[in-house]
Amino acid sequence: MRRLTLLLVVVTLVIVGLLPLAVMLGKSVIVDGRLTFAVYEKLFSNSGQYWVPIRHSLMLAALTAGGATLTGVPLGLLLGKTDLPMRRILAILFSIPLLLPPYILAVCWFNLLASDGILAPIIPERTLELLSHRLFDLPGCLWVLVSAFMPLVMILTLACLHAVNPRLEEAGRLIARWPAVLWRVTLPAILPGILFAAILVFLLALGEVGVPMYLRYPVLPVETLTQFAAFYDFGAAAAAASPLLAIVLAVLALEHLLLRDQTYRLRPTTPGRRMLSIRLRGWRVPAMLVVGLLATAIVVLPLLALIVSSLSPFAYGDAWLRAADALGRSLVFAGVGATLLTAVGFLCGYLIHNRALRIWRAVDTLTLLLFTLPGTVIGIGLVALWNRSGSAFLYASSALVIFAYIAQYTALTSRISTATLANVPPSLEEAAQMIGAPWFARLAYVVVPAAFPGVLAAWFTAFIFCFRDLGASMVVYPAGQDTLPVRIFTLMANGAPSLIAALCVLLVSVTLIAMAILGLLFQGWALRR
Amino acid sequence: MNAIELKAVSKTYDRVPAVDSVSTSIQRGERVVILGPSGCGKTTLLRLVAGLEVPDSGTLSIDGQPVAAGGHNLVEPEQRHIGMVFQDLALWPHMTVSQHLEFALRYDLRTKSADRPARIREVLEMVRMGNRALARPGELSGGQQQRVALARALVANPAILLMDEPLSSLDSDLNLHLRQELLTLYAALGFTLVYVTHNREEAEAIGTRVIAMRDGRTGDSAMTRAKPGNRQS
Amino acid sequence: MSRGRLFFVVVLAGVIAAVLWRVLAPSSAHTVVVYVSHDQVFSEPILNDFQRDTGILIKAVYDTEETKSAGVMNRLIAEKANPQADVYWANEPIRAEVLRLRGVARSYRSPSAAGIPAQFRNADGYWTGFSARARILIVHRGLRDKPRSIQAYTDPRFNGRAVIANPLFGTTTAHIAALFNAWGDDRVEVFLDAMRRNGVHISSSNGESADQVARGAFDFALVDSDDVYSRERQGQPVEGIYPDQEGGGPGCFIVPNAVLLIKDGPHPAAGKKLIDYLLSRETERKLAFSDAAQIPLHPGVETPADVRRLETLNVMQVDYAAVAARMQAFQPWLRDWVGH
Repeated sequence: MRRLTLLLVVVTLVIVGLLPLAVMLGKSVIVDGRLTFAVYEKLFSNSGQYWVPIRHSLMLAALTAGGATLTGVPLGLLLGKTDLPMRRILAILFSIPLLLPPYILAVCWFNLLASDGILAPIIPERTLELLSHRLFDLPGCLWVLVSAFMPLVMILTLACLHAVNPRLEEAGRLIARWPAVLWRVTLPAILPGILFAAILVFLLALGEVGVPMYLRYPVLPVETLTQFAAFYDFGAAAAAASPLLAIVLAVLALEHLLLRDQTYRLRPTTPGRRMLSIRLRGWRVPAMLVVGLLATAIVVLPLLALIVSSLSPFAYGDAWLRAADALGRSLVFAGVGATLLTAVGFLCGYLIHNRALRIWRAVDTLTLLLFTLPGTVIGIGLVALWNRSGSAFLYASSALVIFAYIAQYTALTSRISTATLANVPPSLEEAAQMIGAPWFARLAYVVVPAAFPGVLAAWFTAFIFCFRDLGASMVVYPAGQDTLPVRIFTLMANGAPSLIAALCVLLVSVTLIAMAILGLLFQGWALRR
Repeated sequence: MNAIELKAVSKTYDRVPAVDSVSTSIQRGERVVILGPSGCGKTTLLRLVAGLEVPDSGTLSIDGQPVAAGGHNLVEPEQRHIGMVFQDLALWPHMTVSQHLEFALRYDLRTKSADRPARIREVLEMVRMGNRALARPGELSGGQQQRVALARALVANPAILLMDEPLSSLDSDLNLHLRQELLTLYAALGFTLVYVTHNREEAEAIGTRVIAMRDGRTGDSAMTRAKPGNRQS
Repeated sequence: MSRGRLFFVVVLAGVIAAVLWRVLAPSSAHTVVVYVSHDQVFSEPILNDFQRDTGILIKAVYDTEETKSAGVMNRLIAEKANPQADVYWANEPIRAEVLRLRGVARSYRSPSAAGIPAQFRNADGYWTGFSARARILIVHRGLRDKPRSIQAYTDPRFNGRAVIANPLFGTTTAHIAALFNAWGDDRVEVFLDAMRRNGVHISSSNGESADQVARGAFDFALVDSDDVYSRERQGQPVEGIYPDQEGGGPGCFIVPNAVLLIKDGPHPAAGKKLIDYLLSRETERKLAFSDAAQIPLHPGVETPADVRRLETLNVMQVDYAAVAARMQAFQPWLRDWVGH
């Protein structure tokens, strides 16, 4: 049963992820029915042309991962482990950029630094000009992407902190002060989680198209898109994306190397024991000041820019009229997508964690690769694969959007599940097995409940990423059934700035409200238990 | 008849042998203790019997029927009708005491669903936990958690009970007390008991036979005459 | 209810919602599927009017120049074996021509096309142009000596003061391709190199070029006329100049919309109705009065005061089919030029 189900999940991944990819690769080697490597020969003979984008891609991804980790981890510690005032509200505030397609953040910053933007009265013109100039280069890309992806590191840090056995820290506190305990005990205990967050950010930044294209920093995915947009050459586009595979494999090897000597194992917190909290005492005010400044710099300013430009008499009414249907669809698509992603991701995570099938490493690699690929490549692959007369009923439906979500984001839910399962002692499942519970029952009654916080986190993460997805859904949505980010994007061309801003505010507030409602529901339900 | 029989069973982790060509047999109704220092492979041996690990080589039989051979499990753990108490007890934090037992009975075809509540009450009384049926593991003391783990392992009437250092984390008074309870249960239910420990005194108190283990190998089976006072049969 | 059961209920609910979504989604034979590369802000009202007037349900897939139209065009090509769209509304004829070359289009001579100059139609009826934009210079109003020709890009007076959208995409590509055809390779390459030496700045889109000129970051840019009108109507300090109008200049490059019928589309009859509707004088009038401010191609269609009529312009003579054919050939050269 176990084997069959896991195989089924692998087959699902192969169908929605690997096959479209294979179709694209097929198009790169089969031209007019003949096998040829001309595209690759051209690619490598012209490699000089690709070195710059590859170097840029690597640099941007590495710096973004570094920057997001260096800000996200301390922020997570401050907001999760101390008595900093308003830490919950701050945590929510810092998460907001994650809800927006990063492209929109870039537009916000462009408007902020404009000579007639809201910063103009405060900042000297020269400085503003310089900043505006730097925006259209690596620093600008880096700034936008760090602010967009840092929340991911922060949230994962917060989640990991809850899994640290407080007895470990108490033992440390007997011999050292908190900073030393954090450094020597807490951080090493959550290191795998941090590394995972850094890798996610690295891959997200590596696959990002919108921001570097808008800020004109030539990276590899933009190169891929050029092949699509300027040449309509699917084969060449797939070939141009092929270096991404090498990068993903290198990242996985690095992760393996770094975690190999990992002797720490997160142990689940003993029931009834709570996470230890640090009292900041005299440091409360300075810490608050630093966090407040950071929040202003990376969240409040762009958000304010959005809100200010949305303040026009009819903007919100117009936004509602033009996009209410897209908003409803987005919510349904993201809900369905997140639910399926949680299920598929959990089973994948189970498969990888338990190494239940021999191909577990291949599954991990495939999901990460799909996560990194530009959505357009996956989207076109899905179109080429599914648009046949036999599968027209599927193709013409929104199922393809869901397929695209599963293809692109399984890595998220799978990795979160793997991390959570590492905290569930295997004896829990074994005990159920010893009393004869079949695999489904073990999963449903023992493993999933024990991993429930992780399952919930996976669902919410998947929901966010599905809700704001642009790249793949833009290519596969059925006619007349676009999603809100797609609608915003297509209305952006010559649409009134106030309308676009209002739509973005709508996007953020609806996501926040939806998540707050779900959060309250789960909390109430958890309390009742 | 042998309840458990191992013939040249080996298990290796990362090229380090954990169980190294062990051959031994355990009779029905016997109380056998596997004694050895930490890391000597005794837990692995127990997990091999339970079916949670697959031997690399050798044959393992239960009640004369081969359950693992040639590097494969022939019978899955859940079909071996074995009860097991884990070292960390592995209680499910989200389930109440009676839910633990109910869950354990649900997959036991020999117990009709109508009989389950009675059986659960019976076993809980047996381990003197009848008044804590609705508690969760987090609300129980160490000794109570032990009893729940034991009750869960026994509720479906297994022919074999495996125990992996279940009392190691308890203070000596509680340890002694629970030993007595275990022997009482053994006398009442008549299962085959395989008990793993590193504590010689505990081993001699519980086992009618002690198998010494070191570096993955079993030493000569030393028959020990348990002291008359400890013999509850 | 246990957590595990709840989890499965949630999964089940998700699957049911997906199925319901599919079942309840409106689907009817009285439908037309249109893929649109023209800005949604301008095209959606027209399509809504069509739906209201004819009762035929519009299902649209939109795209923008900002995405470099990678979505819709690639989708049409990928769907060729089993087309889903009936009509493609392109924002310039080059895309329509590429689709014709790839065998995605089907010939249809709409009765509404009568009166549209032959230059803006495919001779075999594979695509038809309507409502055009012009490629014009957007100039900051504060600039004293304003440029009158695209040659201003090479004028030392504007060293480092001019911006142009990335010529690998959109109407800028078409414009340069038209120059390659009109001037020949050598002259265009000399022109573009001179432009580069004169410190031209490359932006990601026409819209961005226009914004930068409006902010005063640059003096002028070559953009589409709608980019200028929309900013003028927002009261920004810019004005549009039709380049190369005097003294035998090459004239101004006109970029009409183009509509084509998709070969083997699912609703050909409704598709033809939509094409007739789009090519009508009434649609051209609406697009002229909308913020798109497009130039009607039918003679004598009413326009607002600030929209030039085709008759009053010195128009660059362009064979769009030849331009489309050339585009692929010089893209690699252009890419080097951009410095990617």
